[in-house]
Amino acid sequence: MSNMIDPLGEAGLQFYSKVSASISHEIKNSLAVLNESAGYLEDVTLMAKKGMEINMERLESLAGTMLKQVQRTNGIVTNMNRLAHSLDDPASQVDLNALLELMISLSERTTVTRGFKVSAAFSDSAITITTHPFFLENLIWLILDFAMNITGDEKTIAMVPTKTESGAEINFTGLDKMTENAFNDFLTQHVRLILAALHCTLQPNENIGKITLHVPGNITHPVQ
Amino acid sequence: MRLLLVDDEKEFVSTLAERLSLRDIEADWVTSAKEAEKIIEKKHYDLVLLDVKMPQVGGRELKKIIEKKIPGIKTIYLTGHGSEEDYQAGSAEAEYYLMKPININDLIKKIHDALKK
Repeated sequence: MSNMIDPLGEAGLQFYSKVSASISHEIKNSLAVLNESAGYLEDVTLMAKKGMEINMERLESLAGTMLKQVQRTNGIVTNMNRLAHSLDDPASQVDLNALLELMISLSERTTVTRGFKVSAAFSDSAITITTHPFFLENLIWLILDFAMNITGDEKTIAMVPTKTESGAEINFTGLDKMTENAFNDFLTQHVRLILAALHCTLQPNENIGKITLHVPGNITHPVQ
Repeated sequence: MRLLLVDDEKEFVSTLAERLSLRDIEADWVTSAKEAEKIIEKKHYDLVLLDVKMPQVGGRELKKIIEKKIPGIKTIYLTGHGSEEDYQAGSAEAEYYLMKPININDLIKKIHDALKK
Protein backbone atom coordinates (compact mmCIF):
# COMPACT_ATOMS: atom_id res chain seq x y z
CA MET A 1 0.00 0.00 0.00
CA SER A 2 1.31 3.43 -0.88
CA ASN A 3 2.00 5.84 1.94
CA MET A 4 1.73 8.83 -0.43
CA ILE A 5 -1.27 11.07 0.17
CA ASP A 6 -3.08 12.16 -2.95
CA PRO A 7 -2.57 15.98 -3.05
CA LEU A 8 -6.13 16.72 -4.15
CA GLY A 9 -7.47 14.49 -1.39
CA GLU A 10 -5.12 16.18 1.08
CA ALA A 11 -6.46 19.60 0.07
CA GLY A 12 -10.00 18.34 0.58
CA LEU A 13 -9.15 16.88 3.98
CA GLN A 14 -7.53 20.14 5.11
CA PHE A 15 -10.65 22.04 4.10
CA TYR A 16 -12.96 19.54 5.78
CA SER A 17 -10.87 19.60 8.99
CA LYS A 18 -10.91 23.39 9.17
CA VAL A 19 -14.66 23.54 8.65
CA SER A 20 -15.19 20.77 11.22
CA ALA A 21 -13.07 22.62 13.79
CA SER A 22 -14.97 25.84 13.17
CA ILE A 23 -18.33 24.08 13.37
CA SER A 24 -17.46 22.21 16.56
CA HIS A 25 -16.45 25.55 18.08
CA GLU A 26 -19.81 27.01 17.15
CA ILE A 27 -21.67 24.03 18.58
CA LYS A 28 -19.65 24.29 21.80
CA ASN A 29 -20.64 27.94 22.09
CA SER A 30 -24.27 27.06 21.62
CA LEU A 31 -24.01 24.24 24.17
CA ALA A 32 -22.42 26.68 26.62
CA VAL A 33 -25.45 28.99 26.34
CA LEU A 34 -27.82 26.04 26.83
CA ASN A 35 -25.72 24.82 29.76
CA GLU A 36 -25.89 28.18 31.55
CA SER A 37 -29.61 28.52 30.80
CA ALA A 38 -30.36 25.06 32.19
CA GLY A 39 -28.10 25.81 35.14
CA TYR A 40 -29.98 29.02 35.85
CA LEU A 41 -33.29 27.12 35.76
CA GLU A 42 -31.85 24.67 38.26
CA ASP A 43 -30.68 27.55 40.46
CA VAL A 44 -34.05 29.30 40.55
CA THR A 45 -35.92 26.01 41.08
CA LEU A 46 -33.82 25.33 44.17
CA MET A 47 -34.42 28.90 45.35
CA ALA A 48 -38.18 28.56 44.76
CA LYS A 49 -38.25 25.39 46.86
CA LYS A 50 -36.80 27.48 49.69
CA GLY A 51 -39.65 29.95 49.26
CA MET A 52 -37.98 32.62 47.12
CA GLU A 53 -40.05 34.34 44.47
CA ILE A 54 -39.48 33.39 40.82
CA ASN A 55 -39.11 36.08 38.17
CA MET A 56 -41.46 34.72 35.51
CA GLU A 57 -40.35 37.23 32.87
CA ARG A 58 -36.78 36.06 33.25
CA LEU A 59 -37.89 32.46 32.83
CA GLU A 60 -39.81 33.38 29.69
CA SER A 61 -36.76 35.11 28.21
CA LEU A 62 -34.61 32.11 29.15
CA ALA A 63 -36.99 29.75 27.33
CA GLY A 64 -36.66 32.00 24.26
CA THR A 65 -32.87 31.89 24.54
CA MET A 66 -32.88 28.11 24.72
CA LEU A 67 -35.17 27.76 21.71
CA LYS A 68 -32.99 30.17 19.75
CA GLN A 69 -29.88 28.14 20.56
CA VAL A 70 -31.57 24.91 19.47
CA GLN A 71 -32.44 26.58 16.14
CA ARG A 72 -28.90 27.90 15.83
CA THR A 73 -27.38 24.47 16.47
CA ASN A 74 -29.83 22.88 14.07
CA GLY A 75 -28.71 25.34 11.38
CA ILE A 76 -25.05 24.56 12.06
CA VAL A 77 -25.62 20.80 11.91
CA THR A 78 -27.75 21.14 8.76
CA ASN A 79 -24.92 23.02 7.02
CA MET A 80 -22.41 20.41 8.17
CA ASN A 81 -24.68 17.73 6.76
CA ARG A 82 -24.93 19.56 3.42
CA LEU A 83 -21.14 19.81 3.25
CA ALA A 84 -20.75 16.11 4.11
CA HIS A 85 -23.23 15.09 1.42
CA SER A 86 -21.48 17.23 -1.18
CA LEU A 87 -18.96 14.37 -1.41
CA ASP A 88 -21.63 11.82 -2.33
CA ASP A 89 -21.24 12.09 -6.10
CA PRO A 90 -18.26 13.12 -8.25
CA ALA A 91 -20.57 15.36 -10.28
CA SER A 92 -23.99 16.67 -9.39
CA GLN A 93 -26.28 19.57 -10.18
CA VAL A 94 -26.00 22.52 -7.82
CA ASP A 95 -27.45 26.00 -7.64
CA LEU A 96 -24.54 28.42 -7.22
CA ASN A 97 -26.72 30.74 -5.13
CA ALA A 98 -27.34 27.96 -2.61
CA LEU A 99 -23.70 26.88 -2.67
CA LEU A 100 -22.46 30.41 -1.95
CA GLU A 101 -25.02 30.81 0.82
CA LEU A 102 -23.68 27.62 2.38
CA MET A 103 -20.10 28.87 2.11
CA ILE A 104 -20.97 32.18 3.79
CA SER A 105 -22.49 30.22 6.69
CA LEU A 106 -19.64 27.74 6.97
CA SER A 107 -16.96 30.43 6.89
CA GLU A 108 -18.81 32.90 9.11
CA ARG A 109 -16.98 32.11 12.35
CA THR A 110 -13.60 32.48 10.64
CA THR A 111 -14.48 35.66 8.76
CA VAL A 112 -16.23 37.36 11.70
CA THR A 113 -13.42 36.48 14.12
CA ARG A 114 -10.99 38.12 11.71
CA GLY A 115 -13.26 41.16 11.43
CA PHE A 116 -14.48 40.56 7.87
CA LYS A 117 -17.91 40.67 6.32
CA VAL A 118 -18.68 38.38 3.39
CA SER A 119 -21.81 38.87 1.36
CA ALA A 120 -23.26 37.55 -1.89
CA ALA A 121 -25.50 39.21 -4.44
CA PHE A 122 -27.74 36.24 -5.17
CA SER A 123 -29.50 36.19 -8.51
CA ASP A 124 -33.29 35.94 -8.61
CA SER A 125 -33.23 32.69 -10.54
CA ALA A 126 -31.18 29.56 -9.89
CA ILE A 127 -27.73 29.29 -11.51
CA THR A 128 -27.59 25.57 -12.06
CA ILE A 129 -24.32 23.88 -12.97
CA THR A 130 -23.04 20.33 -12.88
CA THR A 131 -19.84 20.13 -10.88
CA HIS A 132 -18.09 18.41 -8.00
CA PRO A 133 -19.73 20.43 -5.23
CA PHE A 134 -17.24 19.53 -2.50
CA PHE A 135 -14.20 20.72 -4.43
CA LEU A 136 -15.99 23.85 -5.60
CA GLU A 137 -16.76 24.58 -1.92
CA ASN A 138 -13.10 23.87 -1.12
CA LEU A 139 -11.99 26.30 -3.83
CA ILE A 140 -14.34 29.06 -2.65
CA TRP A 141 -13.09 28.55 0.94
CA LEU A 142 -9.49 28.98 -0.27
CA ILE A 143 -10.37 32.08 -2.31
CA LEU A 144 -12.14 33.63 0.70
CA ASP A 145 -9.14 32.84 2.91
CA PHE A 146 -6.84 34.52 0.37
CA ALA A 147 -9.27 37.41 -0.07
CA MET A 148 -9.11 38.22 3.65
CA ASN A 149 -5.41 39.01 3.24
CA ILE A 150 -5.92 41.45 0.38
CA THR A 151 -9.16 43.33 1.05
CA GLY A 152 -9.33 47.05 1.47
CA ASP A 153 -9.83 48.86 4.76
CA GLU A 154 -13.57 48.18 4.71
CA LYS A 155 -12.80 44.47 5.19
CA THR A 156 -15.76 43.51 3.04
CA ILE A 157 -15.77 40.78 0.41
CA ALA A 158 -18.66 40.43 -2.02
CA MET A 159 -19.37 37.39 -4.17
CA VAL A 160 -21.47 37.88 -7.27
CA PRO A 161 -22.56 34.76 -9.21
CA THR A 162 -23.69 35.15 -12.81
CA LYS A 163 -24.82 32.74 -15.49
CA THR A 164 -22.64 32.78 -18.61
CA GLU A 165 -22.75 31.09 -22.02
CA SER A 166 -20.25 28.43 -20.96
CA GLY A 167 -21.60 27.97 -17.45
CA ALA A 168 -21.20 30.53 -14.72
CA GLU A 169 -18.79 32.91 -13.07
CA ILE A 170 -18.34 34.18 -9.56
CA ASN A 171 -16.82 37.61 -9.07
CA PHE A 172 -15.05 38.23 -5.79
CA THR A 173 -14.79 41.97 -5.20
CA GLY A 174 -13.35 44.28 -2.54
CA LEU A 175 -9.83 42.88 -3.02
CA ASP A 176 -8.28 46.34 -3.18
CA LYS A 177 -4.82 45.27 -2.02
CA MET A 178 -4.36 42.43 -4.50
CA THR A 179 -1.09 42.43 -6.44
CA GLU A 180 0.15 40.17 -9.23
CA ASN A 181 2.68 38.60 -6.84
CA ALA A 182 0.06 37.96 -4.16
CA PHE A 183 -2.22 36.30 -6.71
CA ASN A 184 0.61 34.12 -8.04
CA ASP A 185 1.51 33.07 -4.49
CA PHE A 186 -2.10 32.05 -3.98
CA LEU A 187 -1.89 29.65 -6.90
CA THR A 188 -0.37 26.84 -4.86
CA GLN A 189 -0.25 23.24 -6.03
CA HIS A 190 -3.49 22.54 -4.13
CA VAL A 191 -5.31 25.45 -5.76
CA ARG A 192 -4.04 24.48 -9.23
CA LEU A 193 -5.11 20.86 -8.71
CA ILE A 194 -8.62 21.85 -7.62
CA LEU A 195 -8.95 24.28 -10.53
CA ALA A 196 -7.88 21.52 -12.94
CA ALA A 197 -10.20 18.94 -11.39
CA LEU A 198 -13.16 21.31 -11.66
CA HIS A 199 -12.13 22.61 -15.13
CA CYS A 200 -12.31 26.11 -13.65
CA THR A 201 -10.13 29.14 -14.33
CA LEU A 202 -9.30 32.15 -12.19
CA GLN A 203 -8.84 35.59 -13.65
CA PRO A 204 -7.43 38.37 -11.47
CA ASN A 205 -7.97 42.06 -12.11
CA GLU A 206 -5.67 44.00 -9.80
CA ASN A 207 -6.85 47.37 -11.12
CA ILE A 208 -10.34 46.97 -9.72
CA GLY A 209 -9.60 44.48 -6.92
CA LYS A 210 -11.51 41.61 -8.40
CA ILE A 211 -11.03 37.90 -9.03
CA THR A 212 -13.33 36.07 -11.44
CA LEU A 213 -13.83 32.35 -11.09
CA HIS A 214 -15.08 30.77 -14.32
CA VAL A 215 -17.01 27.57 -13.73
CA PRO A 216 -18.14 25.26 -16.55
CA GLY A 217 -21.85 24.54 -16.89
CA ASN A 218 -21.01 20.87 -16.89
CA ILE A 219 -17.81 19.46 -15.39
CA THR A 220 -17.53 17.12 -18.37
CA HIS A 221 -17.44 20.13 -20.73
CA PRO A 222 -14.49 22.33 -19.66
CA VAL A 223 -14.42 26.11 -20.10
CA GLN A 224 -12.41 26.98 -23.24
CA MET B 1 -13.76 39.75 44.98
CA ARG B 2 -14.93 41.23 41.70
CA LEU B 3 -14.75 39.56 38.32
CA LEU B 4 -15.05 40.77 34.76
CA LEU B 5 -16.39 38.29 32.19
CA VAL B 6 -15.65 39.00 28.52
CA ASP B 7 -17.31 36.87 25.85
CA ASP B 8 -19.01 37.75 22.56
CA GLU B 9 -21.80 35.25 23.32
CA LYS B 10 -24.06 37.68 25.17
CA GLU B 11 -26.58 35.12 26.39
CA PHE B 12 -23.81 32.91 27.74
CA VAL B 13 -21.87 35.62 29.52
CA SER B 14 -24.90 37.42 31.00
CA THR B 15 -26.42 34.21 32.38
CA LEU B 16 -23.09 33.07 33.78
CA ALA B 17 -22.69 36.43 35.55
CA GLU B 18 -26.21 36.09 36.92
CA ARG B 19 -25.50 32.59 38.25
CA LEU B 20 -22.26 33.77 39.87
CA SER B 21 -24.09 36.63 41.56
CA LEU B 22 -26.64 34.12 42.94
CA ARG B 23 -23.60 32.59 44.64
CA ASP B 24 -22.49 35.98 46.02
CA ILE B 25 -19.72 36.47 43.49
CA GLU B 26 -19.80 39.93 42.00
CA ALA B 27 -19.34 39.66 38.24
CA ASP B 28 -19.68 42.28 35.52
CA TRP B 29 -19.85 41.23 31.89
CA VAL B 30 -19.13 42.74 28.48
CA THR B 31 -19.18 41.29 24.97
CA SER B 32 -16.07 42.79 23.36
CA ALA B 33 -12.50 43.77 24.05
CA LYS B 34 -13.39 47.39 23.37
CA GLU B 35 -16.03 47.39 26.12
CA ALA B 36 -13.63 45.58 28.44
CA GLU B 37 -11.01 48.27 27.97
CA LYS B 38 -13.56 50.94 28.87
CA ILE B 39 -14.92 49.24 31.98
CA ILE B 40 -11.52 48.47 33.51
CA GLU B 41 -10.79 52.21 33.43
CA LYS B 42 -13.70 52.74 35.81
CA LYS B 43 -13.70 49.69 38.07
CA HIS B 44 -11.20 47.45 39.79
CA TYR B 45 -11.25 43.74 39.09
CA ASP B 46 -9.40 40.88 40.76
CA LEU B 47 -9.86 38.39 37.96
CA VAL B 48 -10.90 38.41 34.32
CA LEU B 49 -12.54 35.52 32.51
CA LEU B 50 -11.76 35.87 28.82
CA ASP B 51 -13.14 34.11 25.77
CA VAL B 52 -10.15 33.23 23.60
CA LYS B 53 -11.87 33.60 20.22
CA MET B 54 -13.72 36.89 19.83
CA PRO B 55 -14.19 39.10 16.78
CA GLN B 56 -11.50 41.75 16.20
CA VAL B 57 -9.54 41.33 19.46
CA GLY B 58 -9.40 37.88 21.04
CA GLY B 59 -8.88 36.99 24.68
CA ARG B 60 -5.15 36.41 24.45
CA GLU B 61 -4.53 39.84 22.97
CA LEU B 62 -6.97 41.44 25.42
CA LYS B 63 -5.11 39.85 28.35
CA LYS B 64 -1.96 41.77 27.37
CA ILE B 65 -3.92 45.04 27.18
CA ILE B 66 -5.57 44.47 30.58
CA GLU B 67 -2.30 43.47 32.26
CA LYS B 68 -0.75 46.78 31.25
CA LYS B 69 -3.54 48.58 33.09
CA ILE B 70 -3.94 46.15 36.02
CA PRO B 71 -0.56 44.47 36.60
CA GLY B 72 -0.86 41.11 38.33
CA ILE B 73 -4.54 40.60 37.54
CA LYS B 74 -5.51 36.93 37.44
CA THR B 75 -6.85 35.48 34.21
CA ILE B 76 -8.89 32.46 33.25
CA TYR B 77 -9.40 31.67 29.59
CA LEU B 78 -12.63 30.16 28.35
CA THR B 79 -13.00 28.66 24.93
CA GLY B 80 -15.02 26.39 22.75
CA HIS B 81 -11.91 25.90 20.65
CA GLY B 82 -10.11 22.67 21.41
CA SER B 83 -6.83 22.64 19.50
CA GLU B 84 -3.88 21.23 21.40
CA GLU B 85 -1.69 24.12 20.24
CA ASP B 86 -4.11 26.71 21.65
CA TYR B 87 -4.43 24.74 24.88
CA GLN B 88 -0.66 24.63 25.41
CA ALA B 89 -0.19 28.31 24.67
CA GLY B 90 -3.23 29.41 26.66
CA SER B 91 -2.37 27.27 29.69
CA ALA B 92 1.08 28.83 29.85
CA GLU B 93 -0.32 32.38 29.81
CA ALA B 94 -3.31 32.21 32.14
CA GLU B 95 -4.06 30.69 35.54
CA TYR B 96 -6.47 28.27 33.87
CA TYR B 97 -7.66 27.41 30.38
CA LEU B 98 -11.19 26.00 30.48
CA MET B 99 -13.35 24.47 27.78
CA LYS B 100 -16.98 25.33 27.24
CA PRO B 101 -19.47 24.26 28.40
CA ILE B 102 -18.33 24.64 32.00
CA ASN B 103 -19.59 23.35 35.32
CA ILE B 104 -20.21 26.35 37.56
CA ASN B 105 -18.92 24.64 40.72
CA ASP B 106 -15.68 23.72 38.94
CA LEU B 107 -15.40 27.27 37.66
CA ILE B 108 -15.87 28.76 41.14
CA LYS B 109 -13.20 26.44 42.53
CA LYS B 110 -10.83 27.52 39.76
CA ILE B 111 -11.61 31.18 40.45
CA HIS B 112 -10.70 30.76 44.14
CA ASP B 113 -7.59 28.76 43.29
CA ALA B 114 -6.50 31.35 40.73
CA LEU B 115 -6.85 34.16 43.23
CA LYS B 116 -4.61 32.27 45.68
CA LYS B 117 -1.83 31.85 43.10
